[in-house]
Amino acid sequence: MSTDGLTRRNVVAGAAALAAGTVFKPWVARAAATEIVHWSWLAASDGEVWQKMIDAFNAANKDMQIRMEVVPEEQYPTKVLGAAVTGKAPDFGWGTAGQRAKMAKDGVVVPLDDLAKKAGLDVADFDAFAIKSARYPKYNNGLFMVPMDLMSLQPEVNLDHVKEAGLDPEKFPTDGATLIDWAKAMTKRDGDTVKRSGIMMTGSGVQPTVTWGIVAAQMGFQRASDDLKTACVNPQAGIAAMHWVLDLFDKHKVSTRDVTDRYKAFGTGQGSIFWTGPWTLNGYVGQKLNFRTYLFPKIGDKQLTYFEEGGLELYVQKDKGRYEATMQAVKWLSDNSFLWTTVGRGASPRKSILSRPDYKTAGHPWSVRGAFVDGMAFATQGEIPVQSGPDFTIYSGGNFLAKTLEGVWAGQSKPEDAMARIQEQWQKGLDAG
Amino acid sequence: MQGPLATKPGRTKIDWIGYVFIAFFAVPFLLFNIMPILFGVYVSFTEWSIVGEPSWVGLDNYREALRDEWLRTAFINVFFYALIIVPGVVILGLAFALFVNQGWPLSALARTLLFTPNVVSATVIGLVWVWVLDTQFGVLNHYLGYLGVPPVPWLTSVHWALFGVSIASIWWDMGLAFVLFLAALQDVPKDLYEAAEIDGASRLRQMWSVTLPYIRPTISMVVTLQIISTMRIFSQVYVMTNGGPSGASLSVIKHIYDTAVVRNILGYASAVSVLLFLAILVVTLVQRTLLRETARG
Repeated sequence: MSTDGLTRRNVVAGAAALAAGTVFKPWVARAAATEIVHWSWLAASDGEVWQKMIDAFNAANKDMQIRMEVVPEEQYPTKVLGAAVTGKAPDFGWGTAGQRAKMAKDGVVVPLDDLAKKAGLDVADFDAFAIKSARYPKYNNGLFMVPMDLMSLQPEVNLDHVKEAGLDPEKFPTDGATLIDWAKAMTKRDGDTVKRSGIMMTGSGVQPTVTWGIVAAQMGFQRASDDLKTACVNPQAGIAAMHWVLDLFDKHKVSTRDVTDRYKAFGTGQGSIFWTGPWTLNGYVGQKLNFRTYLFPKIGDKQLTYFEEGGLELYVQKDKGRYEATMQAVKWLSDNSFLWTTVGRGASPRKSILSRPDYKTAGHPWSVRGAFVDGMAFATQGEIPVQSGPDFTIYSGGNFLAKTLEGVWAGQSKPEDAMARIQEQWQKGLDAG
Repeated sequence: MQGPLATKPGRTKIDWIGYVFIAFFAVPFLLFNIMPILFGVYVSFTEWSIVGEPSWVGLDNYREALRDEWLRTAFINVFFYALIIVPGVVILGLAFALFVNQGWPLSALARTLLFTPNVVSATVIGLVWVWVLDTQFGVLNHYLGYLGVPPVPWLTSVHWALFGVSIASIWWDMGLAFVLFLAALQDVPKDLYEAAEIDGASRLRQMWSVTLPYIRPTISMVVTLQIISTMRIFSQVYVMTNGGPSGASLSVIKHIYDTAVVRNILGYASAVSVLLFLAILVVTLVQRTLLRETARG
């Protein structure tokens, strides 16, 4: 074997060069552009649009680059907490309004009022309700998130089923009784067994839980009083809403508990009316499902529905100097969120974007997207901004609420008993702050 | 002999190189297995949610565990999982191993096919079986329909969900048991069978009096491993039913996951983990003792 040129001196010089490269490379890179680390849990079709947003930012900002890492949604809070205590939290990430009270208390998420002002983010351009929802009254009423989208739950309806049942697609029900009539007309049964649900439901998980939450609120139930001191205001309304959900299965027979995957089932025509969020649009439009979205009917005394507000939050850093740069990045993403709120998901919380003449024509057709935007006017059922907020959320398939209600849907516990348990647990949560 | 490597009288020579070799395993094992276990035991006596210092609460978490209805449900479910999955895996694994051991045509292919599910991740297995067991358009119900069986709500009914998850688990776990049994069967000396045949023993008698006693240590090992594996069942439950409906398929590990990862209540989750560890330890010791007694008998 020839060893020409491979002398001890060469090896030492090479190693020194390699070491120098390793040591100085990050510094050189930093000198070229500030790197902002971003964690996201968006993993469905909305994740692809968000990636485009990040790419657009990186293309437009040569002095600052965002490095995005995707973390599973369910593990997200724990991973953020773990990273924060070891001083390695990402600079910013995705949050949901009302779900970060504990992080706000522990100082893991950073209050943004001053930073937003310094960065020149026009808070007045945001919908007042969106900003209010991103604040935590128990923590100095601080703003802990820059709202990026507002997503309401509205009924998507299979138009082929509407036509087949001889119903008028221009006259979607606006009240509970007509809704049940429509559901009955579109339900297909084999004897007593529902083969196609007029109202898409599952026997457990998110769908019956969120349906209960919306209907209960419409009937006058409050998960927490306005001052966040009393749990389960008007529990009788909550119990009545449980019976309303049970009746879908057992009395009206317009829903079956035997659906495993509600998204897939609606996409394959096994359900006619499916209340869900705008995150489903990319998929159903892509597969050319013939559907239209309507406003959630008034089943109780007042018309309202569930909403989720997504946004960007900043995490605690050892180097406080990073906050301003990160806030600049967040401001850019918010200012340029037209794509996100027309194709990605949800309605825009920015007045300037909503008033653009092309807002209704961009992205998916207004017939499927419009109700999600217009419906924000009565989408008031969000999160309860306390530390045990996740126990209160009605859009969950595995939290305390969903597990407790599952017993009711399965006929294993009485609505009254379930309500008593919910009241006890939620009161403890409110008392803890 | 007197030389530089010789030990001084009265001193034992330590061969440090041996420690270096085991250090490659021992150090990571101590750091990533033993230390977290000890830390977990400590955390189980505290209230902690990652941020801040754990605050000592003594036995409160264990008292809470005794009152926790979901935990009770999870332990009962795990008992039923074990009751279905362990015999299912052992009987089917042994039956297929006996079949392949005959060396009939296509036995090599059968060996590969039977082991294949075990190399696929439990998550993938779960996703596949969600399709297979779907009430309305699942393959299994489709074929059962030909036999006049009405659609079974394998994953959506409180009465069936545990069976649904168990079916997928048996299919997944059987591969390893099958391979272990096959290896054991191939170790049984042929002359024992020849002697039994000369004595006029039927095939069934040979199986009962020669094969089973000879592979008893393997059966014991498979049962032990399977009990431990079943008590730790998680991925299938998480993917297929999320523990529902109404906790009908909830497992202890899923409960720990919900408590620790989703709700960030690490002290209580650690206490439940310690209880699960103790339960596995007790069951394993009892099972090993029983099988040893049977072997002696």
